[in-house]
Amino acid sequence: MRYNILFGGAAGQGPNILGEILSKALNKCGYYVFYSRDYQSLIRGGHNFNVLTFSEDPIYSNDSKMDVVIALDENTEKIHKKDLKKNGILMNAKKENMYFAGAVFKILGIDFKILDDELKILEKRYEENLKNSKEGYNEEKRKLCKLEKKKLKGTFYNGSLGISEGAVKSGLDIYYAYPMTPATPVLTELAGNQVKNNYLVLELENEIAVILAAIGSSITGAKTMVGTSGGGFDLMSESLSMAGIAEIPLVLYLAQRPGPASGVPTYTSQGDLNLARHAGHGEFSRIVLAPGDPKECEELTSQAFYFSQNFKLPAILLSDKHLAESFYTIYKIPKLTKSKKMINLKKFNSYEWNAEGTSTEDAKEINLGVKRRLKIIEDVKKESEKFEMIKSYGKKGSKNLVILWGSTKGAVLDAVKELDCEVLQILYMEPFPIDAVKKLISKKNIILVENNSTAQLGQLIAEKTGIIIEDKNKILRYDGRPFLADELNIEIKKRLK
Amino acid sequence: MKKIKKLPLETKHKPTWCPGCPNFMILAGVKKAIEATGKKREDFAMVAGIGCHAKIFDYLNLPGLNSLHGRVPPVCLGLKIGNPNLKVLGFSGDGDAYAEGIEHTLHAARYNSNWTYIVHNNQTFSLTTGQPTPVTEKGFKDKTTPLGVNTEPFNPIKIMLAAGASFVARVFADVDSVAWVLKEAINHKGFSFVEILQPCIIFHKEMLEYKKNIYSLEESGHDKTNYVAAMRKAEEFDYNTINKIPVGIFYQTKKPIFEEQFPQIKKLGKDD
Repeated sequence: MRYNILFGGAAGQGPNILGEILSKALNKCGYYVFYSRDYQSLIRGGHNFNVLTFSEDPIYSNDSKMDVVIALDENTEKIHKKDLKKNGILMNAKKENMYFAGAVFKILGIDFKILDDELKILEKRYEENLKNSKEGYNEEKRKLCKLEKKKLKGTFYNGSLGISEGAVKSGLDIYYAYPMTPATPVLTELAGNQVKNNYLVLELENEIAVILAAIGSSITGAKTMVGTSGGGFDLMSESLSMAGIAEIPLVLYLAQRPGPASGVPTYTSQGDLNLARHAGHGEFSRIVLAPGDPKECEELTSQAFYFSQNFKLPAILLSDKHLAESFYTIYKIPKLTKSKKMINLKKFNSYEWNAEGTSTEDAKEINLGVKRRLKIIEDVKKESEKFEMIKSYGKKGSKNLVILWGSTKGAVLDAVKELDCEVLQILYMEPFPIDAVKKLISKKNIILVENNSTAQLGQLIAEKTGIIIEDKNKILRYDGRPFLADELNIEIKKRLK
Repeated sequence: MKKIKKLPLETKHKPTWCPGCPNFMILAGVKKAIEATGKKREDFAMVAGIGCHAKIFDYLNLPGLNSLHGRVPPVCLGLKIGNPNLKVLGFSGDGDAYAEGIEHTLHAARYNSNWTYIVHNNQTFSLTTGQPTPVTEKGFKDKTTPLGVNTEPFNPIKIMLAAGASFVARVFADVDSVAWVLKEAINHKGFSFVEILQPCIIFHKEMLEYKKNIYSLEESGHDKTNYVAAMRKAEEFDYNTINKIPVGIFYQTKKPIFEEQFPQIKKLGKDD
C-alpha cells in the first residue's frame, strides 16, 4: 500500500499547513509519511504544491501518479489533473484550506477527533478551522481507504532539522550565516532555540564575513559552523583555503540548489559535489560528507564536528533542497559521535608558517608545512575507516549495483524494492572509501543515479578507482526536481542485467 | 610613577620593513600601549590583513590570525564573540580597509563590537610596489596608472563617522602618538577606529610633508563628543591636497556594545 496526495495552490493559500496537519495525523496513526514541497521564488501568488506519500512500510519518496489532488485554486487543477491515477480523487470545491483537511480525513477514513487534536495544537483560528474542516468532513462522500491505527513510533522531521539537531547535540557554540535558500531553514531553526540552548546565531554582512567571523571564533576554541548554498559558498572559498593552511576547525553546511550562478533558487540539485571537493586555492585537506536522510544529517553533522576538531580542518556537509526541506518518518535513533574542543588560541597564519606561527619563505619550513598537511589527510583517512563511509542495501551479491549519494537515497530505495539489485550509498566523499567501493563495484553492472547533469559522483569514482561507469547506465535528472520512485523504478529496470 | 612591566612581546622573526619605514614606530608605539595597560600578553589577540602593515603580525608576540587581504574586521568580531574577555587589535592597511574590505570596515562601525581597528594608511599598495588605493590623491602616477589617478580619494574619517563608529581617531606615525591614541582606543568601550598616517618612504614620499601640517585636535579645543564638530574637523583634510591636518580623537561616544547584548554569550567558549 502506498498513497500519494498532492496539495496545490497559490503561495499564501496555505497548502503547507494543510499537508503538515495531515502528515502529523498520519504519523500519529502509525503510518510512514514522506512529504515534499515544490515552491517558487515568490512570496504571494504563483503555483506551489506539496506531495504527501504514505504507507504502512518505510518510504522515503514521492511518486508521479496521485491518488488525490487537492486544488486550492484553478491553476492547480489545470496543471495537476493529468497526474491523477485513473480512479484518483480530485478535490476542487471552492473552499478554504481547512475544508479540504476535513474532506481528506474523510476519504482516508480517519477519525475526525485526530484532526480536531491537530487543530487544537495549531491553536491559531481554532474555531474557524474546526467549522471549515467539519463542513468538509460532512460533505465529502467519496472513499479511498479506511486507515487502521498502527503502533509505529517514528519522528517526523526534515534534513534541516537533522542538521540543526546534530549541531546542537555536538556542542555548537556559534552558527554564522547569511540567508540563502535552501540553507535558511537551518538558520531559522537554530536562531529560534539559541537562548534556550545556550549558543549564538549571527547573521553578518555577507558570506565572506560569515566564514571569517567563524574562523575568528574557532581559534578561541569555540565550536563554530556556517551555512550557505552554492553562491555563498563561492564567496567563502578564499577563507576556506585559509582555514586549510592555518589548520582551523570549521563545519560548513552547503545546501545545494541548481546553479550556475543564481540558477533556480527554490529547486533541488546535486551539482556542487565538485565544488565542495575542490573549492579554495592551494592544496589542503578537508572532509566532505553527504547524508541521505534526516537521521544521517544528524549523525554526519556530529562526525563533521569530530573530524574538524580532532584534525583541525574544514568539514563540509552536503545537503540539497530536497533533503533540507522534505519531511521523513524516521524510526531509528541517530548514533551521534562525541567531540571535544581541541583548539587553544595561538598564532594562526594564512601565510605558510613556522613553529612560532609566523610567516615563512624558507624552503625547509615550506616543506614541513606541506608535509604536515599531507599527513593530516593520511590521518583522517585512517580514522574515517572507523565510520560508516558507505552503506549497502537491497539484494546482496546481485550482479546489478545501483550507486547513489545524498538525497537520491529515498527515491532509489523505494524504486528498487522488488528489483534484483544491490544498492550502494556513498556518505564519505572526502576522504573517499576507495577500497570498500572498489570491492563492491568490480565486475558489477553499475547503474548510477544522480541529481545533476555531469555525474559528479561518477567522476569521483573514476578518479579514485579507475572504474568508468557507462553513459547509458547513468540516470541523471537535472530539471531541479527530485527523482520520483515510480519513474525511477522504470529507469532502473531498463538497465538491469 | 608606576613602573611599567616589560612583556615578552618580541618574536624571533627578523623585521623586513624597509630601513627607516614608519611601521617601526607604529610597532614600538603598539608595544608601549600594550604594556601601559598592565595586562598580560594572553589578554590580547591580534589580527592583520595583507600588505606592509601585516608584517607586524610576525614581529608582535600576540596570538591571533594573520588573515587575508581586506579580511580583518570579521575575524576580530569572531574573536570577541568567541571570547569577549580578549582585548582585540585589528591591523589593516589602506588597501585592506578601504579597497578589498571596505564593506567589513563599514559594518564594523555599525556592529560596535569592543575591539580596536588600526589602519596603517600610506595611501598606496606598497608591498605590490606602489599602486594607488582608494585614498591616493588625484593625479598620482605609477607604472599601472600612466595616465594618473582620475578619482578623488575617500575620506576615511568622514566615512567612519557616517557609518556610526563610536570612536574615531587619526594620528601621524610616531611612537608617542601611536601609544597615546591606542591607550585611549583600547580603553574605549565599543568599536574604536584609529587611522595612522604612515608615509611610505619608497612609493609615497609626499606624505612626509604631512608632519609639518598636522595640529592636535585636543590642543585646538575640539569637543570630541560633538558629532557635527567632528565632521567639520574631518572635512579639513581631504587626503587630496596637503592642508592643515587635524590629528587626535575626532569623536567618541557611548553606544551599546554588540557582544554584550546576547544573554547567552557569556557562557560561550567554555569547554564541554
